[in-house]
Amino acid sequence: MFSYIIRRLLYTPLIVVGVLLVTFLLFRVVQGDVSAEYAGRSASAENIAEIRKELGFDKPLFINTEAVSERGVLAVFDSQFFHHFKNAVTFDFGRARMSKQKVTTLLARGAIPSLSLTVPMFLGMLCTAIPIALFVAYHRGGPLDTSVVIVCVMGMSLPMLATIMFGQYFLAHQMGWFPVFGYEPGFAGAKFFVLPALLGMLAGLGRDVRFYRTVMLDEIKADYIRTAYAKGLSSPRVLFGHLLKNAMIPIISSVVLAIPFLFLGSLLLERFFGIPGLGYLMIEAIGSRDFQIINALTFIISVLFVLGNLATDVCYALVDPRVSLN
Amino acid sequence: MRTTLLALIVTLIALTGCGESGSNGGAPADGQLITYGAISSKVRGMDPMDIGDTTSSAMASNIFDCLYQYHYLKRPYVLIPSLAAEMPTVSEDGLTYTIKLRDDVYFQDDECFTATGGKGRKFVAGDIIYSWKRIADIKNVSKNWWIFDGRIKGFDDFREYTKTVKDKKDVDYSKPVEGLVAVDDHTLQVTLVKPWPQVIYMMSHLPTAAVPREAVEHYGEEFINHPVGTGAYRLKEWRHGSKIVMERNPTYREEFYPSEGEPGDEGKGLLADAGKRLPLIDRIDISVIEEDQPLWLKFVGGDLDVGGIPKDNFDTAISPNRELTPDLQAKGIVLEVYDDAATYWYGFNMEDPVIGKNLPLRQAMNLAIDRQDLLKLFLNNRGTPARGILPPMLAGYDPDVNSPYTVYDPALAKEKVKEAEKVNGGPLPTIVLTMGGTDSTARQMGQWFTRAYEKVGIKLEVDYMDWPSAQEKVKTKSAQMYAMGWVADIPDAENFMQLFYGPNASPGPNNMNYNNPKANELYEKLSVMENSPQRNEVVRQMQQTIVDDLPCVLTVHRVVFLLHYDWLHNYKPHIFGYGLGKYRNIDAELRRQRVGR
Repeated sequence: MFSYIIRRLLYTPLIVVGVLLVTFLLFRVVQGDVSAEYAGRSASAENIAEIRKELGFDKPLFINTEAVSERGVLAVFDSQFFHHFKNAVTFDFGRARMSKQKVTTLLARGAIPSLSLTVPMFLGMLCTAIPIALFVAYHRGGPLDTSVVIVCVMGMSLPMLATIMFGQYFLAHQMGWFPVFGYEPGFAGAKFFVLPALLGMLAGLGRDVRFYRTVMLDEIKADYIRTAYAKGLSSPRVLFGHLLKNAMIPIISSVVLAIPFLFLGSLLLERFFGIPGLGYLMIEAIGSRDFQIINALTFIISVLFVLGNLATDVCYALVDPRVSLN
Repeated sequence: MRTTLLALIVTLIALTGCGESGSNGGAPADGQLITYGAISSKVRGMDPMDIGDTTSSAMASNIFDCLYQYHYLKRPYVLIPSLAAEMPTVSEDGLTYTIKLRDDVYFQDDECFTATGGKGRKFVAGDIIYSWKRIADIKNVSKNWWIFDGRIKGFDDFREYTKTVKDKKDVDYSKPVEGLVAVDDHTLQVTLVKPWPQVIYMMSHLPTAAVPREAVEHYGEEFINHPVGTGAYRLKEWRHGSKIVMERNPTYREEFYPSEGEPGDEGKGLLADAGKRLPLIDRIDISVIEEDQPLWLKFVGGDLDVGGIPKDNFDTAISPNRELTPDLQAKGIVLEVYDDAATYWYGFNMEDPVIGKNLPLRQAMNLAIDRQDLLKLFLNNRGTPARGILPPMLAGYDPDVNSPYTVYDPALAKEKVKEAEKVNGGPLPTIVLTMGGTDSTARQMGQWFTRAYEKVGIKLEVDYMDWPSAQEKVKTKSAQMYAMGWVADIPDAENFMQLFYGPNASPGPNNMNYNNPKANELYEKLSVMENSPQRNEVVRQMQQTIVDDLPCVLTVHRVVFLLHYDWLHNYKPHIFGYGLGKYRNIDAELRRQRVGR
């Protein structure tokens, strides 16, 4: 397993370079430069050209052949892509284009509020959805199962925005059970996360219960379950000792792969409840073509995603002895 | 500077707040007057040199001061001294401005003043020169160089010099600039390249505010997060993207609430605090609330002192006869209605071979637009149809400047389309509209325009994209038609007229690439004239020339509807002024009675 992990880790730089290249192509080549925006709305053409030069947007995109004769062979790398690449691998993400805030500071500042919302929401969903799925799978075909499926489909059909707006208006404004809006760092601010986390769970619960129920149903029909019952094992023993363990592979896949995205927060919940997380930062950065932020976030997410994939594979081997990483 | 787009972005700059978060950031001492506010977009940074958006300007202008400021109550808008001791003395040729500065102004106490153990030092003329040089320094990539570009003697040379310096830290700020001289610590002399009467407005524009060199050097790039100025308030707490708290600057100079305003101000209670020392409120507590629903719920819940009216809540707030509904009146909410200094349009690229040479087509495209329907559908009737370039509240506006083609007349539009086809030498191709927005409002607007043109026989295709992409298309002259508008930076017609001056073509501010020798000549004339009836006549002629050529589809002038509670005193809408927190007052007892806070 150790050699497998090393091998997989060695792929990571290649994948990350690929991601950096795609990000660069999307935001630099396709969308062009943003010098005019830097220069301000009444700027002259000369002023914009000056800014373009200062920001390095006048340099070639990939290879700077012109500079070679003047500054030697290494000057070939004095191009927009190589600067972008160098900055990413040295974790020098620079400053955000619009706000001129340090990107690493922005990310650090946004990660905690985002995780404070998404982690409880994620854990809460797991702890709720899996037992419900197990329960309805056990009672499959019965009125309880049918009712839960109907409720789940209704929940899935309801747009998240509607859930949020209704919850904020009714539960917070009308009933006064939760704060309408706000954020405070530390434990004192926990009250501001309760409603958004509950609404986030509510919005995603239907989807998760349906998914886990399907996984459980696939397993519950398997021979080994019948064998277990035939041997006289109790239902809890069968469900928790046998069924759940075998159902874990698809569950682990979905859970581990979701973890890197927890870092990105939830755009809608953050906006509606005033949580200064990374969800809105990302969307704002895309909208304003703040390449520095997009670059940093895609880099980090891609690394986390690759590591998440590796963790998934390792988990497979841990929960299912049939899986070999060799 | 204020950024605009037709999607009519409402950036609410208000003094509002929220109960829950209002109680954070340190409980206020007993008896402190606090105003709670909200902003609907994030503050990007608080370094005046680099400020280019309304929200950041509104916040930073409580902390920084310029040489001049707008009188809070008088209309039309007039400038009065701020850091300056008096209005400038202007030489006969209109080139040299001598400005006496106050000698009782100190920078806010801050750890950056190491020589005085954190005590703020006295403000001097050199601080203004330093602050303006920061804008000129190319290494700072300031978005405000346009203010000075080609205006002050020797200043462009200083900018050229900064281009030759390799490292930012090596730029020599002691390098003299011919047109920027500190005669003594309290006298500044500015010499212009050519007369520019609007320079006085620029001296009240936040990017030109005084910053202390000590703070810039102490905090380096992080100065954007550690503003140190001479203003009435200083930054107490800034939770990025969430909350800003400013507290009274104890070393603020002697400045008093105005004793005169315009007729009617006294009756509205706006002179009740006349002669009182500013600022009147101890603390300003601002939350960032970007979505309409929570912003509205916080306001009607009494957690905010001021609020706008979201589009979806307009009918619940305003009755059909344009008055506040009884429910809101009973809560002690007051409605303020005022004209914004904005004109919105759909610009044509006048260098486009199809549109630029086809006046009947441009006339038809104006005639096909039902501006009243546009206002009703997208703005809850919060505006008036635009028939000229200048907004009604700006000096130089003349309702007689208009075009017979800026009214809704689909029958005449169809005739004009036939004329346009003759000019084109055949059927008209599909016109492509670049829409800088991908949200539902932008798409609805695109559909509305497509339908309006379809009715008169013009095919329109809407190309939706994000705002920066749209701007780039416009700046590279590759947009055929685009949605935009202009919100005045200063109360002067030149600010609008520059948009139609040929040499300012894209990527300059003349995005329509409009180039009429007659209009150019009139612009050159008015741009060096002092405000006068003669100048207004030149402005009128230039406007009429533009409107005759119709380089855009004129759409609307906006009217702002704003709400505030009656416990907030001295609230008078001001289009151009920022840093107005110092004039506001709170009846804390009334607020307690009404909302128990």
